[in-house]
Amino acid sequence: MTSYTEPFWSALEEGRFLIHGCDGCEEAFFPPSPICPHCHSTDVRWEEASGEGRIHTYTRQHTTAADFEDGIVVGVVELAEGPRLLAGIDARYEALSIDDPVDLEVRRYDQAFDRGRLADSPFYVATVRSE
Amino acid sequence: MTGQPAPTVSGIGLVPNGRYSIPDRDLALGVIREAVAEAGIDLSAIDGLYMPSPRPWTPQGFFSTYLHRLLGLETRRSIEVATGGTSGGHAFHAAVENVRSGAVEAALVLALERHSLIETTGPYFDYVATLFDREFETPIGLTIPGVYAQSLRRYLFEYGIEREDVAEIVVKNRRNARANPNALFDEAVTRREVLSSRPIADPIRLYECPAPCDGAAAVVITDGPSDGAAEPPVSVAGIGAHHAASHLLMSHRNEPTELPAIAESASRAVADAGVGVDAIDVFEPYTPFPHIEAIFAEELGLVGRGEGVDACLDGTTAPDGAHPISPSGGCLGRGHPPMVTPLLNHVEAVKQLRGTASTQVDGAEYAMTTAEHGHVNGVTATVFTTEAPA
Ligand SMILES: [Zn+2]
Repeated sequence: MTSYTEPFWSALEEGRFLIHGCDGCEEAFFPPSPICPHCHSTDVRWEEASGEGRIHTYTRQHTTAADFEDGIVVGVVELAEGPRLLAGIDARYEALSIDDPVDLEVRRYDQAFDRGRLADSPFYVATVRSE
Repeated sequence: MTGQPAPTVSGIGLVPNGRYSIPDRDLALGVIREAVAEAGIDLSAIDGLYMPSPRPWTPQGFFSTYLHRLLGLETRRSIEVATGGTSGGHAFHAAVENVRSGAVEAALVLALERHSLIETTGPYFDYVATLFDREFETPIGLTIPGVYAQSLRRYLFEYGIEREDVAEIVVKNRRNARANPNALFDEAVTRREVLSSRPIADPIRLYECPAPCDGAAAVVITDGPSDGAAEPPVSVAGIGAHHAASHLLMSHRNEPTELPAIAESASRAVADAGVGVDAIDVFEPYTPFPHIEAIFAEELGLVGRGEGVDACLDGTTAPDGAHPISPSGGCLGRGHPPMVTPLLNHVEAVKQLRGTASTQVDGAEYAMTTAEHGHVNGVTATVFTTEAPA
């Protein structure tokens, strides 16, 4: 058996960011799961997101676990399609504001944390889009 | 006597929050002896044991079973709970429900925390990282203050609150803790000191984070007042719990500034007690960051949305205000052993109702406590009263 989320990581390698859509209630959601968290329908499918979103909130962590750089900037990104997710933000903290437009970008994973079966998979960060 | 047995707090025991080098065993035995003695019962009368599962790094494992041999105790219920910060709340509720049903006659609720045994930015943060979604969030490297910092930023943004004003909630709670002999801190802080303390996760500063520490507490619940008790009985009038459809900061339904588990659990607890929130004279909540205390007041309907910080600034939540919150100092003033904080809140509620609190609310007859875990994803609420049950 393969992991349910395998299509997400395969698509990410090709530069595409997949989320889920639900045919039971028409809501989009993330992370992907075979059960819709809005209506509990199992009539769900993979959908490609634009990768565009806005910063809903954010912080800069001055101290982190040993596997991570201190001073990392992280936040909640609200995708254009609706779902929200946590992401690292590749930007100077001082330059950020709530509602800034961002793009999710595929990146090589560069922290020391061991992602197990996904150790060689890319990850994603949010970058600020100039409007 | 008719109806269900009435769960009654007959004895409490605790050690001051701090740093202990003695074994977990000795901390546990000390608070158990104190609580059982105060209840005026024999240890052999205890027929239920309830506790948070000790944390993964606590030296002694299989703790509740270990205690049964050590104490020569036989029980009809023995439960360890592992739901993070609500573990002590759920353990206490299980004891109350078992006493109500008659399954148990004398319940011992115990809690231990050994935070001093783990380095915060090392193995503790590694443990915290596993609390997030392992595949999609853990690789980012989030911390608990990093989560609360994001809800604070959103809270300031949504309601136009002055960031500096939030520090006043820390000032109040540190002031309240000064008189509490069991608190980690005995010195007040100024707004300026809070705002110039070390940044942890912007905009949260060190003094706005609950200081991790060791602790231990025990509570004996009997099925009605105990004849030999050293102190007046306090009834457990109502319990309520709720888990929202959320995990740390993420929810498909609510804003990070909404904490529905507080409102839901509290309304169940007061309904169970047969009163309204307006009957509560004093609150001892589990609110680890200052804006969470503000949102707590809003979720209970004590003030409107976005008015929780003002409620501190204008004295509403002061010990002599209309809705006193954390006269003991709470997590921010007492220090925070997360497994023990729920029981410490209960202990402080009981002291308020006995009239022996370090910062006493005059004439308190009803007190409410809470516990929470994650980013207030799950909450337990408990109402205590001096009133004898009907
Ligand atoms: Zn659906």
